Amino acid sequence: MERHVYASEHDFVHKLEELVKSGVKPEDIETRTPHPVHHAEEILRMKPSNVRLFALVGGITGVATGYLFPSLTALDWTLFVGNKPLVGIPPYTVIAFELMVLFGGLSGFLGLLVTSRMPGIRTIISNDEFGDMFEIYVKRD
Amino acid sequence: MEHKAVATSAAAHPAAMKRLAIEREVISAMQKPGLLYWALVGLFATGFAVFLLGAWGIQIAKGIGLGGQLNPVGWGIYIVNFVFWVGIAHSGTLISAVLFLFRSKFRASFNRAAEAMTVIAVMCAGMYPLIHLGRVWYAFWLFPYPNQRLLWTNFKSPLEWDVFAISTYLTISVVFFYVGLIPDFAIVKRYTRGVSRHIYSVLSLGWVGSKRQWRNYNMLYALLAGLATPLVLSVHSVVSWDFAMGIVPGWHTTIFAPYFVAGAIFSGCAMVLTLCIPMRKIQRLENVMPIEHFEKLAKTMLFTSMIVGYAYTIEFLLAYYSGNVYEFGIFKDRATGYYKFQYWGMVFCNMIVPLPLFIKKLRRNLKWLFVTSIFVNIGMWLERFVIIITSLAHEYVPYAWGTYQPRGVEISIMIGTFCFFFMMFLLFAKFLPVVAITEKKEEVQ
Repeated sequence: MERHVYASEHDFVHKLEELVKSGVKPEDIETRTPHPVHHAEEILRMKPSNVRLFALVGGITGVATGYLFPSLTALDWTLFVGNKPLVGIPPYTVIAFELMVLFGGLSGFLGLLVTSRMPGIRTIISNDEFGDMFEIYVKRD
Repeated sequence: MEHKAVATSAAAHPAAMKRLAIEREVISAMQKPGLLYWALVGLFATGFAVFLLGAWGIQIAKGIGLGGQLNPVGWGIYIVNFVFWVGIAHSGTLISAVLFLFRSKFRASFNRAAEAMTVIAVMCAGMYPLIHLGRVWYAFWLFPYPNQRLLWTNFKSPLEWDVFAISTYLTISVVFFYVGLIPDFAIVKRYTRGVSRHIYSVLSLGWVGSKRQWRNYNMLYALLAGLATPLVLSVHSVVSWDFAMGIVPGWHTTIFAPYFVAGAIFSGCAMVLTLCIPMRKIQRLENVMPIEHFEKLAKTMLFTSMIVGYAYTIEFLLAYYSGNVYEFGIFKDRATGYYKFQYWGMVFCNMIVPLPLFIKKLRRNLKWLFVTSIFVNIGMWLERFVIIITSLAHEYVPYAWGTYQPRGVEISIMIGTFCFFFMMFLLFAKFLPVVAITEKKEEVQ
C-alpha cells in the first residue's frame, strides 16, 4: 500500500490525475480528505451514490402510506361527516406529502449507514482519525 | 478540552494553516465553560423547572380552567406560543436547506446554530399542544392507532395534518442536524481524551472522510436539503391552515399560508441574530462568523419584513373588497378595538423597526442588529396574538363577543419555555461545534 499526503487540495487533485493517467485503476485508489473534493470524484469516475435509491423507495412508500392508510381507515368504519366524501384525496395529500418527506429522509439516512458501512466499529474503537490532510492510498499488486 | 499538537512537515502549507485555524477557533469555543456560564445554565434550568414544570403541574392538578381560555376565546397564548415557536424553528431549515440549494456562502456561519435552534424550538412548540390539551395523558389519541372502538383519527382535519407536519419536521430536523454533525464529531474526537473522546467517537459513527463516505454523505445532504425545503413551506402552511380552514373572520383567507411562511422566516432570522450575536462575542468566533454574513442575514430579515408588511396591508384591502361585513369588521376591530395596542405594537416592531436596515452601516452594526432582532421577536409574538385572539374574540354575533387576558399560569409556562430554549442553546454551544467546521474548511483554497 502506497501512501501520499498533501496539505493542499490542488496538489492532491494533481497527484490523483497523475496516478489515473499512469494506469492505476480508480478502484485501487482510496482517499481521505478533510472536506469533499468534487473534482477528485470525477477523476476517480465514481458512480452516483445509491443513497438516492434508498430515499426514492422511502419516499414512494411514504406517499403510498399517506394515501392508503387514511383511505383504508376511513372505509374501515364508514362515518359520513359534513356530507364530505369518505375518502378525500386533497386532504390526504397533506398526509402523503409529510410521510413522503419523513420516510424519504429516514430511509436516506439508513442508506448512508448501509452504503458507507457505518457505524464502523473498527474505526470507532481504533485510533484511526479523521485527519486534516489530503491522503491517497494506492493498492499495488 | 486540550489541543493536541498536529505538526507534520506538510502542515506548514498556508491552506493547511488556515484549515487548522478554523478548526481550533471552533473547538476552543467548546472549552470548559466558566462558572458564570454554568450559573447561567443553572438559572435557566431552574426557570424551566419552576415556571414550566411547576406551573404545568399545578394546571394538571387543578384543571385547564386555571388558564384564561374561555368562550369565545378558546385558544389563548398556548396556541400563540405554539405558532411562535414553530415560526422560530423555520429559519433553521431555511438557512441550512434553502441556502444550501442556492449555494449561498453565508450559510456556513450560521447553519449549525440555526439547525440547533430549529430542533430546540420545535421541542418548545411541541410542548404547547400537550399543555393546551389539559388532560395530557390522552395525548396519544392524536395518533392513529388500532383501538377497541375501531375508531381512527380524522385525517381530513387540519389539526391532524399538524400532528403529522410537526412530528415530521422534528424528525427531519434532527436527522439533518445530526448528519451535518457527523464529520465534525470526528474532528472533535481528535481534540478530546478519556470518556468524552469515546462519546464523540461513537457519535461520529467511525467517520474517516474516505471517498465513499463523502460521496454518500453529499448525496444524502443534498437529498435532505431537497426534502426539507418544501417541508419548511408545508409545515407553516399546515399551521396556517389550522386557522384558515375554519370559518372564523380574519382567519378564513387564502393569503394565510404564504403570509405565515414569510412571517416564520422573518422571526427565525431575528432569533438567529438574537442568539448568534452574543455567541460570536462570548465564544470569540469573530473569524469564522464574519460581519458580512450578518449583513446578509439582515438583508433576508429586511426582505421578509417587507413581505409581512405587505401581507398586513393587503389583508385590510382583501377584507374591504370581500364586501363581507364580518371580515371587514374584525380588521377594523384589530386596529381600533380592545387589542389595538397589540396590533400597532406588531406593526411598529415588524414593519417600522426593520426599515433602517436599508442603511448599510446599520446592517453592519451588530448592536443595532441585536436590538432590531429583539423588537422583531416581540413583534412576531404580537402578530400571532393579534391573529389568534382578536379573531376569536370578535366573531359573528356581537352578543358572543368577548375578551381574553392571559392568566398567571399561562404567562409562567411561557417564561418557562423561554428558559428551556436558552438553557438548551447554552448547552449546545458548549458541547457541540457551533460552526460547521468541514464546510468552513471547504471555503479555504
